[in-house]
Amino acid sequence: MAVSVAGMLRGGLLPQAGRLPTLQTVRYGSKAVTRHHRVMHFERQKLMALTEYIPPKPVINPRCLSPPPSPPQEETGLIRLLRREIAAVFHDNRMIAVCQNVALSAEDKLLLRHQLRKHKILMKIFPSQVLKPYLEKSKYQNLLPLFVGHNMLLVSAEPKVKEMVRILKSVPFLPLLGGCIDDTILSRQGFINYSKLPSLAAVQGELVGGLSLLMAQTHSLLQHQPHQLIALLDQYVRQQREGNSIEPANGKLDLPDSVPDS
Amino acid sequence: MAAVLARLGLRSVKEIRVQFCPFEKNVESTRTFLQAVSSEKVRSTNLKCSVIADVRHNGSEPCVDVLFGDGHRLIMRGFHLTAREMLTAFASQIQARSAAGSGDQPAAGTGRD
Repeated sequence: MAVSVAGMLRGGLLPQAGRLPTLQTVRYGSKAVTRHHRVMHFERQKLMALTEYIPPKPVINPRCLSPPPSPPQEETGLIRLLRREIAAVFHDNRMIAVCQNVALSAEDKLLLRHQLRKHKILMKIFPSQVLKPYLEKSKYQNLLPLFVGHNMLLVSAEPKVKEMVRILKSVPFLPLLGGCIDDTILSRQGFINYSKLPSLAAVQGELVGGLSLLMAQTHSLLQHQPHQLIALLDQYVRQQREGNSIEPANGKLDLPDSVPDS
Repeated sequence: MAAVLARLGLRSVKEIRVQFCPFEKNVESTRTFLQAVSSEKVRSTNLKCSVIADVRHNGSEPCVDVLFGDGHRLIMRGFHLTAREMLTAFASQIQARSAAGSGDQPAAGTGRD
């Protein structure tokens, strides 16, 4: 039985007639395992050890040498964009306030930003690596000591200090450090004083009122003397007329009396 | 460093007043301290604790004034300190307060028993 099975297997494995190869390898039992590293022969090991490449040691330890100069960092497009944006912000806006960017929760920050946005005050955050070089070159270099750590800018085209101070007061730990309005550097106290000023229209009205009062005063002072003179002359003429009608002869005596009366 | 504070919590603190003049030189440490203390995570550990930033412009030295719940007061002059030193000192004070507080509570508990 076993012999017949073996014969069938052999018959099945044998190639067809006509394409018979000259050499056929048939493995029995052993398997070609290539997964593990095969140990070299001892002779070969010795030869490999002898012929191993030993690099020559450098004269100076590379750790003692200064590192090779790194290639200069190229300006990325982002930095250029940010720089342009910063220049635009500083150029377009009259009011620039600097605040410390305190780690508020995202919700609070969004709320604050929204409240400021209602008054057209924008909250801008720039990386200080880009902001500082710009400020050093620009006319705002005196603001540089404010830019330490995390900062944000509150900018608006119109100086709406009153609204800004009111909104910032609701967050007591958000420090307003200082800023710049119309090329004037202001501290926090300066901002608060500025916010207490009345509006421009009111101040103009007050000025006009004050000026018109003075004008009226001057006018009345100038008019006073001629009016008095006219009154005196009127009086004199009347008295003369009365004197002439009653006693024409006594007219000379009445005249000196009338002058001290006035 | 702020994470350490957040873990400790501000339970024993009543008020933190950070006072500095931003145009002076050595305010960086004080401002970093304010940054750490006023972060949302730290403040949410005690909502009754008020953190106040007092910005002045009179050339005064930066100063941190911490008032604890038990009336103890910690004043740190930030001119000669680094932020890490200030935070470490503050954290150790909080730890001492909380240790004293937890030491009192078991004592009170045993007293009741």
